[in-house]
Amino acid sequence: MMPKQKLPQNAPVTGGDTSCLRIEALSVVRGQRLVIDRLSHAQEAGAYCLLTGANGAGKSTLLRTIAGRLPAESGHIHCDLPRIYIGHADGLAGAISGRKNLQSWAAINDIDVTDTELDTALGGFDAGAFADMPIQLLSRGQRRRLALARLLLAPQHSLWLLDEPNAGLDVNSQAQLETAINNHLAAGGTVISATHNAVAASMATIFLALGS
Amino acid sequence: MFDYLANPSRFLRLSNRLFMPIGVITCICLAYGLYLGLFASPADYQQGDTVRIIYIHVPAAWLALFGYVGLGLCGLFYVVWRHPLADIAARAIAPVGAVFALLTLITGALWGKPMWGAWWVWDARLTSMLILFFFYLGVIALANGFDRPERGSRPAALLAMVGVINVPIVKFSVDWWNTLHQPASLLRSGGPAVDSSMLTPLLLMLVGAHGYFIIVVILRMRALLAERRLTALRLRPGA
Amino acid sequence: MLGFFIIIIALFPLAIGPKAATLQTLGVPMIWIAALLSSLAGFDRLFAQDVRDGWLDQIALSRLGLGWYAVAKAVAHWLTSSFPLLIITPVLALMLDIATAQLPALMVALLIGSMALTLLGVIGAALAEGARRGGALMAILVLPLAVPVLIFGALAAATKDAIVSPHLMLLGAMLALLMAMAPLVAAAALKIGETESGI
Repeated sequence: MMPKQKLPQNAPVTGGDTSCLRIEALSVVRGQRLVIDRLSHAQEAGAYCLLTGANGAGKSTLLRTIAGRLPAESGHIHCDLPRIYIGHADGLAGAISGRKNLQSWAAINDIDVTDTELDTALGGFDAGAFADMPIQLLSRGQRRRLALARLLLAPQHSLWLLDEPNAGLDVNSQAQLETAINNHLAAGGTVISATHNAVAASMATIFLALGS
Repeated sequence: MFDYLANPSRFLRLSNRLFMPIGVITCICLAYGLYLGLFASPADYQQGDTVRIIYIHVPAAWLALFGYVGLGLCGLFYVVWRHPLADIAARAIAPVGAVFALLTLITGALWGKPMWGAWWVWDARLTSMLILFFFYLGVIALANGFDRPERGSRPAALLAMVGVINVPIVKFSVDWWNTLHQPASLLRSGGPAVDSSMLTPLLLMLVGAHGYFIIVVILRMRALLAERRLTALRLRPGA
Repeated sequence: MLGFFIIIIALFPLAIGPKAATLQTLGVPMIWIAALLSSLAGFDRLFAQDVRDGWLDQIALSRLGLGWYAVAKAVAHWLTSSFPLLIITPVLALMLDIATAQLPALMVALLIGSMALTLLGVIGAALAEGARRGGALMAILVLPLAVPVLIFGALAAATKDAIVSPHLMLLGAMLALLMAMAPLVAAAALKIGETESGI
């Protein structure tokens, strides 16, 4: 198995070209339809990019392609940061508890996490109360909060790829997410988020429109 | 060369130019081969006229195998190099190869009845060919088994690659099985050494069958490309 | 699963006839066919839940990777499905009048063969993930590939007076090949991830 290693929390971004994500002339085909057509984009540490576009314009496709789950027809994606992806599905295995899910997730990503760190992360979304129940017994919003708690365990210099992160969240939790994003950006991370949330729109620094 | 052919229109132009010559050669070979095979060559002293079925059985068997190797190669090109025509070629080849395999089995049965007295014997070669037929069915079922047709291309390509590795193993295992369970009187399905008067029609049929295979695959590829273009046009926004 | 195995074994004598002599020749092959069929069971759902939960995406993005994930699934499936079969085989051997001297060869062959079949099932499940009619599709994918395992396994299990035979060694070679191939093929098949809703 992979040896566990603590990921450097404060590794500096390499000098020179400051962009941590570069997309060059990316085209993605889904079902013989050209969903993304020669898209170019660059993003630096601290940038908050909002993906806009109608339903079906390709926001989920772009996020999944950057995450590496879909192949590009042409073009390149250069990303030297670890990528944390939260898609439509929560990415949580249903039969075990939220706490165990997060521990497993940290383990397979070689992130050393102590119990206190885990509790802090869960607390960031007030998810501690139901963290020990099996996922399948929880409500949509509760699962989403556990999924988002993962973000607080991620290394600081990472690219967050969020697909409709606010789905099913109450107002409190949405505010908690924005706080988490702000802290992440301040520490040198970067975010691409596909959401219709108004608060996010007011905080975003870059807007990327898809579809024509 | 494969890069050159990656462009569908280039492939179509090249195949158009080659189509006539290959078609002519195929017809000549098949016609002459069949004439020699069915009429002009001598009957076997043991099996009589029934041996003439080898002029169809042997080319069919060879092409079934050749087709599957081609399928595996297409799979490799698709998975590793993402060659755009590889998927089209694979989908074109698979049913043709499967039919050749079925033809081998049927002609094998037709041959077997007069020779061994039974419609089917679990002879090593026929059994291997039967399993090869199942391999073909598997690839075809997988390629077409998804709600969105293009989703099946990659799994089918991977299966074809796995299959090509397994075909020699299956052949070996079936031979192994057969020699251990060999019934007392089993005729070698190859029969006695092939005499030159039988060799000529056999070779002609082989060449003709290859040509036939290529013609049919090119036709199928053209049809599949046209179908894809039609679907793409229909899916264009605003169309 | 275990029940499936037992019922198949019980059905064979009902179809063939209870004559001891027939059962003795057919006993070992019957157990093999039953093992083969039961090993297909439950595979079409192997990855489905993880795909739907989005957990597979997380695995694909992680340091662990899809290859080791496939290995873990294979081990888990073997422990829950094939291992109980192995435990119950001596009982079934009694039912089918298989000589006790035959048991060691049978058990060893089944041990290695069931591991090989599990790996084949993982390959099939990864390839057919997301397809319609997963169960029937799995059968046509996996069974032709399983022919060498069946041939070498049945021969190895029927070896008299020895556990280790050339057949067993060939079976072991199949297992070694599959151990190398299965994680790679499964990872390649699962690498492209459409979402659970096909987006």
